[in-house]
Amino acid sequence: MTSIQINGLTKRFGNVVAVDNLSFEVAQGSITGFLGPNGAGKTTTLRMLLGLITPTAGSSTITGKPYQELVDPFRHVGAVLESTSFHPGRRARDHLRVLCIAAGLPVTRADEVLDEVGLTDVGDRRVKGFSLGMRQRLGLAAALLGEPEVLILDEPANGLDPEGVHWLRKFLRTYADQGRSVLVSSHLLAEMAQTVDDVVIIAKGRFVTQSSLADLADRTKPGVWVRTPQAEALRDALTAKGIAAELTTSETVMALETTTETVGIVAAGAGVVIFEMTSKHFDLEEYFLELTASTTDPITKGALR
Amino acid sequence: MKNLIRAELLKLRTTRLFYGLAAAALAFAAINVISAMSTAGKSGGAPALSTGEGVRNVMSAGSSGTIIVLIIGILIMAAEFRHSTVTSTFLVSPKRGRVVSAKIVASVLVGAGIAIVAAALTLAISVPWLASKHIHVHILSHNVGVVLLGGIAAMTIYAAVGVGLGSLIRNQTAAVFVALAWVLVVESLLGGFVPEVGKWIPGGAAAALTGEANRAASNGLLPMWAGALLLVGYGVLFAVGGTRFTMRRDVS
Repeated sequence: MTSIQINGLTKRFGNVVAVDNLSFEVAQGSITGFLGPNGAGKTTTLRMLLGLITPTAGSSTITGKPYQELVDPFRHVGAVLESTSFHPGRRARDHLRVLCIAAGLPVTRADEVLDEVGLTDVGDRRVKGFSLGMRQRLGLAAALLGEPEVLILDEPANGLDPEGVHWLRKFLRTYADQGRSVLVSSHLLAEMAQTVDDVVIIAKGRFVTQSSLADLADRTKPGVWVRTPQAEALRDALTAKGIAAELTTSETVMALETTTETVGIVAAGAGVVIFEMTSKHFDLEEYFLELTASTTDPITKGALR
Repeated sequence: MKNLIRAELLKLRTTRLFYGLAAAALAFAAINVISAMSTAGKSGGAPALSTGEGVRNVMSAGSSGTIIVLIIGILIMAAEFRHSTVTSTFLVSPKRGRVVSAKIVASVLVGAGIAIVAAALTLAISVPWLASKHIHVHILSHNVGVVLLGGIAAMTIYAAVGVGLGSLIRNQTAAVFVALAWVLVVESLLGGFVPEVGKWIPGGAAAALTGEANRAASNGLLPMWAGALLLVGYGVLFAVGGTRFTMRRDVS
């Protein structure tokens, strides 16, 4: 089942296109990393999804409806957007109580979520004395008030110490294991690699790729990239020898987990002319950087999705 | 809607600034009432306390905290943008028109509450003071009740105007500055030197409503009912303008 659906979302600020015809879906019961460099349009996309920013074009739904049309949105969707959105003079518990009342939830939920995020001891303190990590936890507490089935977090690891990041990972995993969905944005793939099931990658406001983390890791296996006018013939010859190979364009082939020597021998055997050949080796982070820098997949050039 | 109004009232009650401002509004009332009584009947001052006009002038000083109530109204809206709490406010209630309406209702309740306490304070200070000068007044004498009610109405409407102003001017500091500059500089200049314009501006309407004796006598304010209608009109104008502006605005 789809819990979040984004259809052709576009947002222009003056001449700047922050988000450009973006579409993707998030399945229920998974943690999806929403990745891209700073300025890629992640925050703008999430804010459009939550009805805070009006899109220039396109639409989005959460649990089947646009956010503005959800009845009791807090019971469906919890969102943690930025760590500074508290009145500094208000006590943490009061901040949560205000939201409980506005959402029509019992105020006792405030104490329950403080406990869930480990802030019970500081509930009576004013937020201005809170560290960034405590603010992130308070933001998460607010998102949990309505026990929503979808959780949306914008760069939640910012400002967290390693212990906090570890705690957050465990928390999100437990949450998703209850059949609920999490969409979490980050500009660091490494930060998310241990947490997410799926990734959606965007850059410069555009969709780059969506896959499971496992498939993404597969694409980063070392391989050989070949430019040849007989791409199909080369692919077939490699496949016949048991080497995984894909056409990336009509003139290029990517052969996985092999060497230039092997590819050269197979090509000679098949009578294939080679114009250019190079071995590729990415680690996940490098791959992510290349993906987002070129905005098209350097290996598949968008041919595989 | 009832939940949203309760939430707005709790927001106010959980910050210290609100209590400070409410106390300031009452202090303004007390100081101005005392000063109106001390200067009454002196040369260049207000009418003597022995006259009906003099008594009404004292009572109208009770609503001098109007500017503070206006600032409370501004803060109800602008503080949300200043601290970005508007994000969670709109996440709880994505129908923004309801949020602004709840804020206007909350501001009106708070404005009326402060105004009623200020009116009670005015009576509590002035009645014994006047009695000590053998001037006996009660709520029905010299139109005292009408003046006090007018003051309560003016303060209440100003709170709603504040919410509208806080929605229209994005920056909280700028909104408060504009409000202060308008009330303390522009309105007093217009009211003092160009009364034919001054009686049509919000301050003039409020003065007509509170029956500010000095200005009523010398400048010719609008009749009380017209002042009330005009001030309500300003309240609606700012409330509707603020709501429309907030509906369209991106929250980032």
